[in-house]
Amino acid sequence: MLSVRIGFSPLNDAALVVLAEVLGCYAAEGLDVSLSREANWSNIRDKLSYGLLDAAHVLATLPLARGLGLGPTIGQIIAPMALGANGNSVVISSKLKEVFEGMGASTLLESARALRLVIQHRRAVSEGKVTLAIPFNYSPHHFVLRHWLAAGGVDPDRQVQWVVLPPSRMADHLRDGVIDGFCSGSPWPQMAELNGDGVVLFSDPAFWTLKPEKVLALRGTWADEHPEEAVALTRAVLRAGQWAADPANANAMAEVLSQKIYVGAPLEAVQKALAPGGAGLILDPQTTTFPWISHAKWFIGQFVRWGLTEGDHDFDAIARRVYRPDLWRQAAEPLGLSLPLDDEKDEGGAAEAWTLPAEPNDILMPPNTLFDGGVFRVSRA
Amino acid sequence: MNVLIIDPDDARAALVAEGLRLDESLTGAQIHHWPRFELARLSDINPDMVIIACESPDRDTLDALQIAHEQAPRPVAMFVDRSDANTTAQALEAGVAAYVVDGYSPNRVASILAVAAHRFNLMQTLRHDLTKAKADLAARKTIDRAKGVLMTSRGISEEEAYRLMRKHAMDSGRPIAAIAEDILSISDLLKKRDD
Repeated sequence: MLSVRIGFSPLNDAALVVLAEVLGCYAAEGLDVSLSREANWSNIRDKLSYGLLDAAHVLATLPLARGLGLGPTIGQIIAPMALGANGNSVVISSKLKEVFEGMGASTLLESARALRLVIQHRRAVSEGKVTLAIPFNYSPHHFVLRHWLAAGGVDPDRQVQWVVLPPSRMADHLRDGVIDGFCSGSPWPQMAELNGDGVVLFSDPAFWTLKPEKVLALRGTWADEHPEEAVALTRAVLRAGQWAADPANANAMAEVLSQKIYVGAPLEAVQKALAPGGAGLILDPQTTTFPWISHAKWFIGQFVRWGLTEGDHDFDAIARRVYRPDLWRQAAEPLGLSLPLDDEKDEGGAAEAWTLPAEPNDILMPPNTLFDGGVFRVSRA
Repeated sequence: MNVLIIDPDDARAALVAEGLRLDESLTGAQIHHWPRFELARLSDINPDMVIIACESPDRDTLDALQIAHEQAPRPVAMFVDRSDANTTAQALEAGVAAYVVDGYSPNRVASILAVAAHRFNLMQTLRHDLTKAKADLAARKTIDRAKGVLMTSRGISEEEAYRLMRKHAMDSGRPIAAIAEDILSISDLLKKRDD
């Protein structure tokens, strides 16, 4: 058996990587997997680079940052599948929440506009900048918050102070007034709310009903040297997805995740995040694990929009080198999943369930809309 | 030059600091230790290099400073010298990473990183030895108590009791401490309750 080292961060959206171990899916695919719980994303990134990890649960943006040459760069990281959709929440201080309510802001757009007024007011009375925390610079969290702020007329570069903090400490900083809000993966926002340190303002689905968030990452050279195992590993995680998608397994899943060696948070917080109205995490392998090139391009577009990279890369080539739908198809076919005909789709603009052309059967997809009504349309040749 | 060590483990940080003080290339260096990273205090120290335990949740905060220049007094970047990937990999494996101000001599960084990695490994070995010593001591106590049980219940000498346990251990292919534990738990079961 090939031994494979897989890293993960203590978050609910590591579910499929963790469950594949608990359910014996790795062993069933002939892989001897050892999981390693990591304290931060930098460590996962570097361990993947230096061959101390072969695979990992990572932010969907992390392999793309590497592909764009951002951060310490050594080697390639590829993404053969997504690990579900959604799972993050934005938490703000109770004080800010009261202000928003006082202004009658109930939608995301209204709350962003309300925040603009708060920022103007604070500047007028010489109070400090509004400070928001994210867990990592090159993260979907960062892009979600910036997109939301910009939609309300806030300049995220000049009018907001950004800090990177570990999710486990964000609640404390919010309570102490160091930050005004944060975005992080569950169950930490729910934990903050249960402890009375802040209030969830919105979760991923309210921003984008089917938001890409985490992917399975493989060290490029490892995947090159072990092409069959790379597919087998992807298949093992997809199998875990088939189990996790069954609502009958929801309680068992929450109990596994809350264990100390995995997420290590109180069961109540884990369940609150997974419940309807929580962080909206969807783990269905058929509709949420395909590594869409259009997701990669949306993220790359955000890197460019916020000045994190120059605009002179071949974005199509980078997206296709990093996100690997071909590997997903090889892994998924024997499991009886349907294979999308295309690697890209429109992101946003689908308020109702819709049909995605696929083989052997078309796939019934959930609604796919962004809060501001925006549509990210792929150009087809 | 200023070196900042961020490690929640005081003993390990002290060991690393001692290692750096012994390093000739670092004579006169100021070495500081924080259990956790505090952005607001960074300018007090103005470090040329930050050594951080990989398991510190604060590593991402430090990592972000290379992008968010305006928040940090000086730009910090992780040291990744591809020509010396080996040292970096060994350091990561030992559980330590280093961040340096841009333009700082890579050779010097590699040697400091090697010292830190060595000290991290040393600490791990010490911890392992200590755990083993504690376990050995506990096992000896268990064996002594089991010996006592055998001596009273079967009216045999200490030497005979020990020989009996050792034979059983060899026959069953299990450690003698495990046999002793079995004897103690069974004897607890057999004990008459006083009430």
